[in-house]
Amino acid sequence: MTQQEVILKVENLYKHFPIKKGIIFSKEVGRVHAVDGISFNIYDGETLGLVGESGCGKSTAGRTILQLHRPTSGSVWFQGEDLSKLRGEKLRIQRREMQMIFQDPYASLNPRMTVSQIISEPMEIHNLYAGQAQLRKARVAELLELVGLNPAFASRYPHEFSGGQRQRIGVARALALEPKLIVCDEPISALDVSIQAQVVNLLEDLQEELGLTYLFIAHDLSMVRHISDRVAVMYLGIIVELADRNALYKQPMHPYTKALLSAVPFPDPFVEETRKRIILEGDVPSPVNPPSGCRFRTRCSYAQPICTAEQPEFREVVSGHFVACHFAEQLQNDTPV
Amino acid sequence: MSDLLDVRGLETQFKTREGIVHAVNGISFKVKEGETLGVVGESGCGKTVSMMSLLRLIPSPPGKVAAGEAYFDGKDLLKMDNEQLRHIRGSKISIVFQDPMTSFNPVLTIGKQTAEPFLIHNNVSQEEAKDRAIRYLELVGIPNAAERYNDYPHQFSGGMRQRVMIAMGLICEPRLLIGDEPTTALDVTIQAQIVELVKKLRDDLGMSIIWITHDLGIIAGMVDRVNVMYGGYIIETAPVKGLYSQPQHPYTIGLLGSLPRMDESVDRRLTSIDGLPPTLLEKPHYCPFEPRCVYAVERCRHENPPLMPVDGDEHFSACWVNPRTGKEHK
Repeated sequence: MTQQEVILKVENLYKHFPIKKGIIFSKEVGRVHAVDGISFNIYDGETLGLVGESGCGKSTAGRTILQLHRPTSGSVWFQGEDLSKLRGEKLRIQRREMQMIFQDPYASLNPRMTVSQIISEPMEIHNLYAGQAQLRKARVAELLELVGLNPAFASRYPHEFSGGQRQRIGVARALALEPKLIVCDEPISALDVSIQAQVVNLLEDLQEELGLTYLFIAHDLSMVRHISDRVAVMYLGIIVELADRNALYKQPMHPYTKALLSAVPFPDPFVEETRKRIILEGDVPSPVNPPSGCRFRTRCSYAQPICTAEQPEFREVVSGHFVACHFAEQLQNDTPV
Repeated sequence: MSDLLDVRGLETQFKTREGIVHAVNGISFKVKEGETLGVVGESGCGKTVSMMSLLRLIPSPPGKVAAGEAYFDGKDLLKMDNEQLRHIRGSKISIVFQDPMTSFNPVLTIGKQTAEPFLIHNNVSQEEAKDRAIRYLELVGIPNAAERYNDYPHQFSGGMRQRVMIAMGLICEPRLLIGDEPTTALDVTIQAQIVELVKKLRDDLGMSIIWITHDLGIIAGMVDRVNVMYGGYIIETAPVKGLYSQPQHPYTIGLLGSLPRMDESVDRRLTSIDGLPPTLLEKPHYCPFEPRCVYAVERCRHENPPLMPVDGDEHFSACWVNPRTGKEHK
């Protein structure tokens, strides 16, 4: 990849949620290690896919980056400012440049607001077109057209739309402030297959047209492969592998990535007939008490004593290919099909 | 192979405030002994309702099985009295529901709930039922099954609960197991575990399976035949390989095209199907897919196509047009 401008830099980001007991004298009895030290860059104009199973912390990571959750520690550099240090008005100004598309199109739109109100709310908050109702209305119409909805729908309410159309409204709202970065938190997983393709195509078109940068959070590995330039794989609060899309899918190095990829079913009976699966044993451990050393060691078939003793460093094994595994080099060529 | 299940002209409707919803519109299909049938379609296409109708699990009112016959082992499930049906449900036909989080009774132990169908359908003691339940919990891969017998559902993770559901479905060794999106709520690695498990159990116990899903990927590697449903109709049915390599109905073609594949070039644009699924408030006299179809011709607007043989005598498609040539079938 050619050297591009870094738009977002995440450094050692931690987000722990306290578990409290007691009502009056409440005390902390444990912590959920939702995000436990992640670092990565997002380049201008690219799509970074963030994949992992439920509970691995990928959504929390997305929200913490946008400061919807304040990080426990670590920093998020966006346009030369550390967002984790910003408060109030300064943070609000930065927020114009970064928006979010939510997972559930049924829960993320206020049922008592019209489409026009929903889309113009961010403009109101940021004082855009203040006192220029006509201009704001025109902007809403423009946005609706951009996401493939009829501008005449502006006065309707969310319940009059289907899931796919609602997700388009969510996209229009995210675009209202002309952001640079959009965090897409599982934007298609609540939709039917044929509608998913519509929304993914829309996101791709918008990226080309408006030069957007996406952080695309999802659990569907084949869709992430389709849309992303680079992909990060999360497991139990940390990133275990980050690489260029082709490298990651062709030559995964982390045993978890290998297992994850081999578990994805192919829509093809001929391929499925001959495919070998790595079946992982057991479940993901609890993020309250993550295993010592390497977090994946409890389910890893390659685990050695060193994996219990030492947490593997997240290191660049091949140029641009980061892996957190002690044995990444040895496992590199041991690729499942 | 003889036919274990033979469904003819099944029709299910729901009365709602907006009018009658035609959820299933006269579908017919068969499941042979030992065969695995996949039923694919998007939400609201009638795939779950049709299976629930067979077992008379549709709440009535508002639901009603308006017409049809469903022969299981030669006897019509829809005409039986409740007593006869009770002997079949849970024992000869069992169903594994979609949501492992809400399908259990939270105040009964996992063990009790697993043993329950066996206890009801067989004249056995509590002890025997418990032993058998533990054996089946072990079979589906619950570690320390004997100890976990007395645990409650909330003490199990989603993947574990789904395994327990399958154990419950298998404990009477049914001849037909219906899985209603049994892995949809689960992560891919757990999904892979469950699929491998079901395949193994199928081969060991020799039962028939109907696997309902919206995911064309998951069934590719496990079923023999596929029924594709749309708007309450079966619009294509074929052996699995024929369906994936030579899909005939424009909807199936669109559905397969809208899935990204891990072994293809990433530059391909996904083919989306424009428009929305039908509302089902009327029973169309035209092809239900016509409003979204790129191949539609004049005839599609007037006549609803029946399933017609294409490409040999195993592959049927309900379409007037041959999508490969874009011309009407003769």
